Amino acid sequence: MAAGGAGGSSKTYSFKVVLLGEGCVGKTSLVLRYCENKFNDKHITTLQASFLTKKLNIGGKRVNLAIWDTAGQERFHALGPIYYRDSNGAILVYDITDEDSFQKVKNWVKELRKMLGNEICLCIVGNKIDLDKERHVSVQDAEEYSESVGATHYHTSAKLNKGIEEVFLDLCKRMMEVAQADERSKGNGASQSGAARRGVQIVDDEPQTATGAGCCSSG
Amino acid sequence: MPRLRPKAPTDLRLYWKKLKAFLKTLSLQRQMMENLIIAKARQDALHRKMEERRLRLQEEANRRFAGSDMITPEEQEQRLLYANVLEYDQDHDWPKLWKANLKKNPNDSALVSGLISYLLSCSEHPVMKLLKRLQYRVYNRLYPILPAPRGLAHSVSDASLSVSLSVSRDLNANEEDSARAQTTPPAPDRENSFEDLEQYLSQLDWSSAPDSAPSQPGLEVETYITRLEESALKDHLRAIVKDIHNAIDRLLSLCLLSFECLNTAAGKDQCVACLEEAFFCPIWRPLLALFRQVYRERELSFGASMRLYRNATPADVGVAPKLFPEDPALLPGSYPYESAVQELQHLCREFCPQRKLECIVRTLRQMLCVHGSMQDPDVPPSTAAIGADDLLPILSFVALRTELPQLVSECAALEEFIHEGYLIGEEGYCLTSMQSALSYVESLHTGKAPPHYPRFT
Repeated sequence: MAAGGAGGSSKTYSFKVVLLGEGCVGKTSLVLRYCENKFNDKHITTLQASFLTKKLNIGGKRVNLAIWDTAGQERFHALGPIYYRDSNGAILVYDITDEDSFQKVKNWVKELRKMLGNEICLCIVGNKIDLDKERHVSVQDAEEYSESVGATHYHTSAKLNKGIEEVFLDLCKRMMEVAQADERSKGNGASQSGAARRGVQIVDDEPQTATGAGCCSSG
Repeated sequence: MPRLRPKAPTDLRLYWKKLKAFLKTLSLQRQMMENLIIAKARQDALHRKMEERRLRLQEEANRRFAGSDMITPEEQEQRLLYANVLEYDQDHDWPKLWKANLKKNPNDSALVSGLISYLLSCSEHPVMKLLKRLQYRVYNRLYPILPAPRGLAHSVSDASLSVSLSVSRDLNANEEDSARAQTTPPAPDRENSFEDLEQYLSQLDWSSAPDSAPSQPGLEVETYITRLEESALKDHLRAIVKDIHNAIDRLLSLCLLSFECLNTAAGKDQCVACLEEAFFCPIWRPLLALFRQVYRERELSFGASMRLYRNATPADVGVAPKLFPEDPALLPGSYPYESAVQELQHLCREFCPQRKLECIVRTLRQMLCVHGSMQDPDVPPSTAAIGADDLLPILSFVALRTELPQLVSECAALEEFIHEGYLIGEEGYCLTSMQSALSYVESLHTGKAPPHYPRFT
């Protein structure tokens, strides 16, 4: 479990993604849709919708996603930081019919940026587009805001199963870019023993020799 | 002016609306500020942990590679141990046999675990001798603190006295320590503490002299002493945690040196797991006792909430009504989530961090399983699945019902000793949720949002 990864291509990325959003914005159904869709139910772990994993293959690279749901209630908010530490990405969900929930997203963005800097990839998601008639957060506002904080913005409907795949795919691609940039800046593995960023574990599949694998191509 | 008059009521309403919106923004901003401060403190604590780890590894590396022409005491020791291993291998046949077997089937995990458990049963093997020695050393540093409970704390800093005592005992007890003396973190300096105390007293004299209403200097001195004690305990705990990490690293490297065939990712994992279990089991009780002294305040809070909520229903801690049977008669002689509570109580009966973590995972599964059995069978499980919004209140209820304040210390210890690799996965999620639930329970008796607790600092 700790090491993970076997066979296939040379690298496996492990990413941690936190799911933030107020109580009834539908983040649980969103993530369930994503993890059960197309595949069978075995992706739903014994922890139901609170912790989910998903394996992906993006451009020949294997990606393991661990999706951490967080409690939206105010009384648990102070405990947020222990959930999102070492996260590679965050999905911030609001309900397009509820302006308050969008305001909460803004608060979380500020908090995340302050704590984790620009290393963390953000995705802001306006859920419940099936209720577009009752929309209270304008598309323009949401998109402009997202751009201003370096987040991508998506509209989804968990009910109609719309736009969900795209959210996760986009986030994964961006997390991979960050991880690859990270590797490059580390100087191609020569001094890997340094303070390798936790969370991004790059596991070489071949059994490690005593001296450790030398080169680590960045492509 | 007169033209405006008829419009006034609508204006007023408009202003009122604006004012309300403004107030809302203000309160949101205030909340955000508070959250930021909390988050900052937590992050600082984390940084410190990572920094400590980095420093620890750096020290280790420096020691290993400092000047190839000069042999450090550790290198010397490593060589000596390796020589012992070679000697042992010559005198015994079993290592050769196992090695040959493993060479034929390098990926047989049953063989790997067989080898490790056989090794653990050979008390004469150098790995096991080292294990005993390192264990003894940790125990030696813990032991003096145990029989000095808080009862004596009113006299002069009893705990810090035993702390320095323990360190000196340590140095005497183990010959190999003398070489390491410089690298051992210094014991809390008692002389300095007394200096501080004197300084404090003189300040007190000075400041209370012109004061007409005399404060209670005795009381303040006592709190000051308590504070000194606490910081001495924290220092001691930190040093011991570091020692244990070092000990396990050393054991693992000797183990891999003895059996190179174990040096695969899976083999290493198994080695660490088995070594840790052997290492922690005999010392967990005294180790936990130290954690409990350090986390005493938090345990007391937990206890207070526990008493206050003794007869609470799940709804009292915010569990959604659909998640437990409302009519207590449906569960005769029992209460909701009882099986999960019992599972969690098992945690205190395990003595190895990994096992404890598994216990937490089982507790969460049990909890969700109970919920599953109550579900309406017509509703597809996906739409009724439990997310974190529901999970945390239930977990808080379960934690409350265990009536075990020591869970606070147990979890704090787990955070120190569980490998970082595990923290991204399901186990990490469960531990994080458990800690959140515990903090929430601690805050219940104050009626406020949970305060933020950094790691011992």
